[in-house]
Amino acid sequence: MKLKKLIAIGLATVLTFSLVGCGSKDSKKDTKETATKTESTKSSDDASASKLDYQKVVFGETGKDLSTTIKFFSHKTDLKENGTYDKLIAKFNETYPNIKVEVEATTTYADDALLRLTSDNWGDIMMIPAVDKNELSKYFMPYGTYDQLSTQYNYITNWMYKGDVYGMPSAANAQGIVYNKKVFTDAGITSIPKTPDEFIAALQAIKDKTKAIPLYTNYAAGWTLGAWDAYIGGSATGDADFQNRVLPYQKDPFADRKDGTGPYALYKILYDAVNKGLTEEDYTTTDWEGCKGMINKGEIGCMALGSWAVSQMQAAGDNGADIGYMSFPISVNGTQYATAGPDYCYGINAKSSDDNKLASELFVKFMVEQSGLAFSEGSLPIVKSDTKLPELFSAFQGVEFVVDTPAEEGKEDILNQVNTESELMINAGGNTKVAEIIEHAANKDESFDDIMADWNQKWSDAQDSVGVDVTK
Amino acid sequence: MDTTKNLQQQKKPFDFMKWLKSRKGQQMVVIITFMFVPLLLLAVFTYFPFVEMFKFSFYKMKYIGDREYVGLDNYKQVFERKDCFSALKLSLYYMGGSVVQLSLALYFATLLSFKTKLGNFFKGTMFFPFLINGIAIGFIFKFFYTRGFVFDTVLQWCGFNLDHLPYWLQNQSINNISLVGASIWRYFGQNMVLFIGAIMSVDAQMYEAAELDGANKCQQFKYIIMPSIKTIIVLNMILSITGSLSSFEIPFVVTGGNNGTGTYFVIMNKIAHVTQKVGLASAMAIVLLAIILVATLLQKLFFKYFFNDGTEDNAKVKKSRKKNLEGAN
Repeated sequence: MKLKKLIAIGLATVLTFSLVGCGSKDSKKDTKETATKTESTKSSDDASASKLDYQKVVFGETGKDLSTTIKFFSHKTDLKENGTYDKLIAKFNETYPNIKVEVEATTTYADDALLRLTSDNWGDIMMIPAVDKNELSKYFMPYGTYDQLSTQYNYITNWMYKGDVYGMPSAANAQGIVYNKKVFTDAGITSIPKTPDEFIAALQAIKDKTKAIPLYTNYAAGWTLGAWDAYIGGSATGDADFQNRVLPYQKDPFADRKDGTGPYALYKILYDAVNKGLTEEDYTTTDWEGCKGMINKGEIGCMALGSWAVSQMQAAGDNGADIGYMSFPISVNGTQYATAGPDYCYGINAKSSDDNKLASELFVKFMVEQSGLAFSEGSLPIVKSDTKLPELFSAFQGVEFVVDTPAEEGKEDILNQVNTESELMINAGGNTKVAEIIEHAANKDESFDDIMADWNQKWSDAQDSVGVDVTK
Repeated sequence: MDTTKNLQQQKKPFDFMKWLKSRKGQQMVVIITFMFVPLLLLAVFTYFPFVEMFKFSFYKMKYIGDREYVGLDNYKQVFERKDCFSALKLSLYYMGGSVVQLSLALYFATLLSFKTKLGNFFKGTMFFPFLINGIAIGFIFKFFYTRGFVFDTVLQWCGFNLDHLPYWLQNQSINNISLVGASIWRYFGQNMVLFIGAIMSVDAQMYEAAELDGANKCQQFKYIIMPSIKTIIVLNMILSITGSLSSFEIPFVVTGGNNGTGTYFVIMNKIAHVTQKVGLASAMAIVLLAIILVATLLQKLFFKYFFNDGTEDNAKVKKSRKKNLEGAN
């Protein structure tokens, strides 16, 4: 019995000691960390005034003697696998032979990036994932103020907080629909549909006159459904303010506007297409890699995807010339609009050393301005002086490009908060709700109006809980 | 505990160094040094994160950014939201599947533990799925169930008409059954191997004696094998019930949890990682833990009162061992 007691006492002491040990270690680490944090921010503040000013960094002149290794975490697995990144880095090293660039890419980028961000040493350059804007300065280095940078670059408003720009776009997309020109002509469609009714009629014609699947939903891949959210701003309303300045504050934004515009009309196209059997017969087993070849061969009429997808569809077979890109079929007062905006943006780690920051700036500058990567991927020009439009936007004649205006200062977080609270996640990975539209449309168990009423309800509840002043 | 220690010290002067060198002291040192590392690992990597998660469940928080204390609000939501708690209904499919799975496993285990032609080959093939990575199995079944692919082709060989076959993953009345099928295929081999192991330990003379008494194979199974492996059957049942409450990989990979196939874990993952409601997801995890504990307890009680199973013997042994110890002291 004595032995037992002794063991118990011994164990208790060991455990308490171990806990105390952990606690003190942790607190020490914390103080150290905060100490280095304040130091690093101080030093970077001083330095950014002189050396790290992105606009004063000139590619090929600044920092020729730099010798360091930077790590780049990217979402583009295809560019890594086909060696494009390697080629570009080799080209970069012709000018800066001593800056070594290591690239890492994953297919589940959006989740991985957020997880890694919480650890401090994730590398030097990252495509900025969905973080709250007031957290930006904690993780990323500012490139400069919007007022200065906007004279030189387009689409830099996405990751802007209090006038500072934290993300440099890797590419800019316009939102539209990828389609196979031959399928459309075979079905007797001569002019590109401009309204939801024309579009549904065109899909019906494809179904009746050809063997192709009119609209391929890409339901199974999940993330592909997020493309439908991208039309909600400019394409569906023609209003540059809609996404950031109207949507978070509007009462019932998903209500029917009765004029074939707005979010209601946008999602109704999908619901109707599925409901009328104008999509593939088994949506649960769609195949993202397979669909590229299918649209190339003319087995698919069209798909709702950003312009970045076009080059992949063209490369997937022998009929690349058949692939075209058209504006989203919603017209506001007779004019078609297309949302244009940046893809993922390069962000530079605020906690990297000054050398690595400068090297990262040089690399970002190279990628954005010198590499020609964006143009070859079908991107709209990011540098203002560059006016060359890629070939694929030839069908966008008469279409106005709309760039979403950023939220008012101090209100940058509101949309994100309402989004997460309502779980609709508009333009923030909210694939589930689009998937549900398809499910309800196919099973015919909930009407479209009910779905939209449900969304309005969720949106209002979220606005309440966040404490937004709702305007009519 | 400190007080008892003090009392002991007051009784007689305590020479720590001398005690340390004594046999008992050495024993103590060895015990503590050996226990320290595993206990530390257990505390740091299991209990500490668990306590943290428990704390999270009372906050409204994202991975990064500020936290706000909300009390029991998250727990209330778990029961109020229609996608959280009701996702547990899907577990009924998986529980039903586990009954099929265990009976299949028991059946094949019994067959294979007698002399069977190519016995080892069948054991190998049936155990093989368990060795494949769960994600890979997900992809296999995604193509397996695709319209006009493997499963449909096989059924067409059997004379079914493709037009009369359902969409295995789209039709909401059967897609969960399809997924459960995949889950059975994966796990039944493991159960079978466990059963075979248990059956092997049955004394072969029992069969001989039974045969002499004129018992047929069915009777041998009922009166010799079943009673001998009750413990392992109960264990397997507990494992598969908890497993079916927490099924994740197959629905996550095959359907992404869409189309009415989102099990509790898939929904929890979505809430934690897509909408970043970490507090709510933590609360869901705690609720599930409570449910699993209750389910296990109920099962134990059930078997204790309705079947006189092997576990009772263990309890008896423990009791007698305790008595012996007390007597010795």
